[in-house]
Amino acid sequence: MTLDPGQLEKYRLKLRYKVCYHLGSSCPDVDDVVQETMVRFLRALQSEKMRNPESLAAFLSGVCNNVIHEYKRRVWKEPVSGADPAPPHSFADAGAEMTELRQTIGLVMIQLSTRDRELLRAFFLEEKDKSEICLSLGLTETQFRVALFRAKERFREIYQASVKRKAAEIH
Amino acid sequence: MTLHTFHEDLTRREELIREYLLRKVDADTAEAFESHYLSCDECFEELQASQLLMAGLRHSRIEFRRVADVLVLQFAGPAELIRQSFELGELQRAFRQKDTKVLIDLGRVVKIDSAGLGQLIYHYSHVVKNQGMLKLLNPNAEVETLLRLTRIDSVLETYHDERQALESF
Repeated sequence: MTLDPGQLEKYRLKLRYKVCYHLGSSCPDVDDVVQETMVRFLRALQSEKMRNPESLAAFLSGVCNNVIHEYKRRVWKEPVSGADPAPPHSFADAGAEMTELRQTIGLVMIQLSTRDRELLRAFFLEEKDKSEICLSLGLTETQFRVALFRAKERFREIYQASVKRKAAEIH
Repeated sequence: MTLHTFHEDLTRREELIREYLLRKVDADTAEAFESHYLSCDECFEELQASQLLMAGLRHSRIEFRRVADVLVLQFAGPAELIRQSFELGELQRAFRQKDTKVLIDLGRVVKIDSAGLGQLIYHYSHVVKNQGMLKLLNPNAEVETLLRLTRIDSVLETYHDERQALESF
């Protein structure tokens, strides 16, 4: 079984995300763990160990888990359990470690409408549940779903435009 | 709920992503979600966008809240409204909306200069032009002295009690 280079690159990027989630983005060995996972995965593909091609992603995730667990055992010398040792919130903050990125995101946030911000803040930051937000903002569940989807979409559009603008300014 | 249903149910997906990023899902759910996003570009993109969004919400320097029809702006941490400060830029951009009743809480503003004062006056003029009103809340002693010396306090109403300020609109 073979995979095209584009698909392999996608897997590599997503694996990097997963490894950062479990080991923390400041872990110096993230890329090594990803690389080891890819090597084992490709070997398994070549030796036809994959019985069900439809569960390729689950297989890859399982391989990655093994590599992560081995890494933790080796480096942290901790018993591996289901519980993740990283503190809560650390990963949600990880993408904003750099000041510049924080500022870009901050500028994006203020370009959103007040209502979008209120909705996103209530859902993602204050962790309110759907019914509570619907009640406070006077929305039905359907309206909530649409409003949340659109607010997030607007955030993404403004963020991408902002990143492109910054890149253009640099060049 | 199976992964297939969460993929199709946008609200459930956002809830799952939020819980995943906050590490509030159990190990089995995390593993199932990771296996899913490895093969699903759409869910992976949503996951990345949510991570950025949550970071942005957490690090936003100006907080906005609405009390009745009044927009209250408050700095999330100590702020300096001085020339070329990041907070001043954020305040400038915060006024793109057409809000007509605005209360700026200066409680966390530790320093202000002519650029900051000019910005307040500029926003005041803009809001008044739209038949609205802009007022200030909780300036510290230093900021209040500057407002008085420059006679800006004769234009911009200043309060130390939020309820009174809100009732004054």
